[in-house]
Amino acid sequence: MFSIATYFSVEALLLLLVTVALYVCLPQKARRYVLLISSYVFFFSISGKLLVFLLFSTLSVHHIGLWLSDVQNECSIRTKGLEREERKALNAEYNKKQRKIMAFACILHIGLLLLLKYTPFFSQNINALFGLLGLQLRIPVPKFLIPIGISFYTLQAVAYLFDVYRKKIPADRNLLRLALFMSFFPQIMEGPICRYSDTAEALYEAPKMHYGNFVLGSQRMLFGLMKKLVIADRLNLLIQNVYGEPNKYDGFVIALGAVGYTFQLYADFSGTMDLVIGTAQMFGIKLPENFKRPFFSATISEFWKRWHITLGTWFKDYIFFPVSMSKPMKKLTTKARKKLGNRYGPLIAGSVSLFCVWFCNGLWHGAGWNYIFFGMYHFVLILSGNIIEPVVIKITQKLKINRSAFPYRCVQIVRTFILVCFGEMFFRQESLKQGFKMFGKIFTDFTFKTLKDGLLFEFGMDRQDYLIIIVSAVLLFIIGILQEKGIEIRASIAKRNIAVQFAVYYALILFIVVFGAYGAGYVPLDPIYAGF
Amino acid sequence: MIYIKRIFVFIMFILGLAGLLVGSSYIFLPKSNGLNSGMEEFKANGILGEKENSIDVLFLGDSEIYCSVIPLQIWQSSGYTSYVCGTSGQTLDYTEVMLKRTFEKQSPKIVVMETNAIYRKFTVKNVIFTKVSDYFSVFRYHNRWKTMSIDEINKPAEYTFTDESKGYRLKTGIKPAVKDNSYMSPTDKILPIEKINRQSVERIKKLCDENGAKLIFFSTPSTKNWNYMRHNGIEALAKELKCEYIDLNLLTKEVPVDWKNDTVDKGDHMNYFGAKKVTSYLSEYLENTGLLADKRNDSDYKTWNEAAEEFNKNCPNKI
Repeated sequence: MFSIATYFSVEALLLLLVTVALYVCLPQKARRYVLLISSYVFFFSISGKLLVFLLFSTLSVHHIGLWLSDVQNECSIRTKGLEREERKALNAEYNKKQRKIMAFACILHIGLLLLLKYTPFFSQNINALFGLLGLQLRIPVPKFLIPIGISFYTLQAVAYLFDVYRKKIPADRNLLRLALFMSFFPQIMEGPICRYSDTAEALYEAPKMHYGNFVLGSQRMLFGLMKKLVIADRLNLLIQNVYGEPNKYDGFVIALGAVGYTFQLYADFSGTMDLVIGTAQMFGIKLPENFKRPFFSATISEFWKRWHITLGTWFKDYIFFPVSMSKPMKKLTTKARKKLGNRYGPLIAGSVSLFCVWFCNGLWHGAGWNYIFFGMYHFVLILSGNIIEPVVIKITQKLKINRSAFPYRCVQIVRTFILVCFGEMFFRQESLKQGFKMFGKIFTDFTFKTLKDGLLFEFGMDRQDYLIIIVSAVLLFIIGILQEKGIEIRASIAKRNIAVQFAVYYALILFIVVFGAYGAGYVPLDPIYAGF
Repeated sequence: MIYIKRIFVFIMFILGLAGLLVGSSYIFLPKSNGLNSGMEEFKANGILGEKENSIDVLFLGDSEIYCSVIPLQIWQSSGYTSYVCGTSGQTLDYTEVMLKRTFEKQSPKIVVMETNAIYRKFTVKNVIFTKVSDYFSVFRYHNRWKTMSIDEINKPAEYTFTDESKGYRLKTGIKPAVKDNSYMSPTDKILPIEKINRQSVERIKKLCDENGAKLIFFSTPSTKNWNYMRHNGIEALAKELKCEYIDLNLLTKEVPVDWKNDTVDKGDHMNYFGAKKVTSYLSEYLENTGLLADKRNDSDYKTWNEAAEEFNKNCPNKI
């Protein structure tokens, strides 16, 4: 049977080629159907009958959106010409009705996600708690098949409904457009998490394929393929070994594993995003960026504005702001201002909202204590950063340290990178206990013995593997610096004469073909974020 | 006009890319087929170094075949030259590759195909990768950048290495099987063969027919990999393709496998003692086909006698 395992598979490439061919050949009105059919074929080839979940979500989002719209229209008709007081009362009544609809929608969509993804985790923990309390009671631990991309398309669905509720966008009466927005095949598996206003119209319009977009999109796809095949897949053996049996290794190897995994995760996820955004660009669809050179971040807050950007903005818009602006939080802020002053007062309510965001962020990544810890770790880092920032400013002013100077920023970048690596170590290690052991080993058992005795080359990775990873990292670093300086590398290559363009493309293709970690002896890495 | 120009540019790009891949394939192709040459599956590919048209019987399959059949035992008992082109976890797309490679230089009269590989799953991706690698070997040997020297780049390929045990891998360890002969409980049920696998077997059969070789399906004893449902599946396939089928899992009198002593890993693979029994049966079977001639006294095959003597020295019990 035709089945797709990842974006980086021959089957996915075949589907893309067929889609591109049909897209180019067919008239504009038929192109949107090509995209929709390809999207459902893609989803079905991965999740099979679980396609029914996507269909259910699409239909229910469409229906609830229209329901909200009808309530809003009815409200505006009935409030027309009424006195202010009467209008206010009627608005309140309709707002209450809308809130009920939204609560229903959240229960339906978030509830389905919770049921499929988190029930086993909750059940196991309840049973563990019963055990601790000495109770014989046990609840069954169910196992569900989870449709691919549910964590991503559910957030898109909820965002759409909230935007309709907030009257940011009108409810879409066109089921085809909404279905396309929910299922667009390049992004269904790992995002980026799009807003309706970002992509729905463009997808429905299915613009003509332009040569420029085709070239730029292909460039980006190649670059993503390089990240995935040369870096992420090559690091797989090292990561599997270090995280599989961490007790065997000293602190140096564990630290190497932590840095290696952070780099692998970045190469895998940002490489996939390059492929996804590049594919969409070929069709003339602009998807939002998910990465903006995160390892150039000076603080953890900045890091999360550069890493998985669309998830961060989703949590900001649909959790942080609603919680911060809620009545209890407003009251809390007012009280805290009186007691703690204007600087620290608002931090209390902000911290509660931040806690909600990071708890959800951790849990969104997976049903496990390591993920919850990962969320809490970043919550503590960001919160403590907010609290101590004024103190740091004062100290640096007194010491006459220029905070915007290059060396100071370099120190900040290195510090942030180290903190991120620690967080990712807990994220990767399924057992929290093992995660702490690994963390402890870095400080208690750090030696360079492994470098001398050659153990480093016994993970299935030899000197050449390490060398090619370092070369690739340097390459990414240089590209990152150029991008930070605002240089649009892809566009500038596309502007060069054809011989230069060909030379660059051939060099990149040859680099992937020769240095890619595929074939005998390599285990390809399953797309990490597709598992979330 | 602009469209024609773009199509022209695209064609030029593809042609250039193909040229680049051909060139790099030449560079990365192993220049010999020995142990440290970078040649994949060098033991199985030792057949490339055998004298032209010198092999009578070709054995194909996965680890089951290279643990079960001892070509030098067949040589010593019947005088037939045979070679085991078995590789670990062999999928049928690779079986096809090995068969095609063999037919380029050899004309075996009999091709024996171990059936475990027929049930091994493989995907369109495997097929495409194998096909593309056949044309552009850089995909198969790209990893040689780690070990290649500059001198190798221009060197012509010369495949002269021959495996001293003709593809067989000697396993002398003993780990008794958990199950005994009960793993072959009779049933009418048939384990279906995947469509993609069936198509591959059909191509293998066609290739054998075109090269005048008789294809025989063969199931070596394995409590872990074989059962009656699989037997029924292969039997039906053999009937359909008009091939002979030998299932030693059912011929327990002819090949009395002692599951306590004849397996290296709890019934999965034969060890040397089990392989001896299997080979002994096969040797006799090949004699009965009447298709092959005894070459033991042929001076052209002197090296086989030398190889057999050398092999005997390494065996726990001489053949």
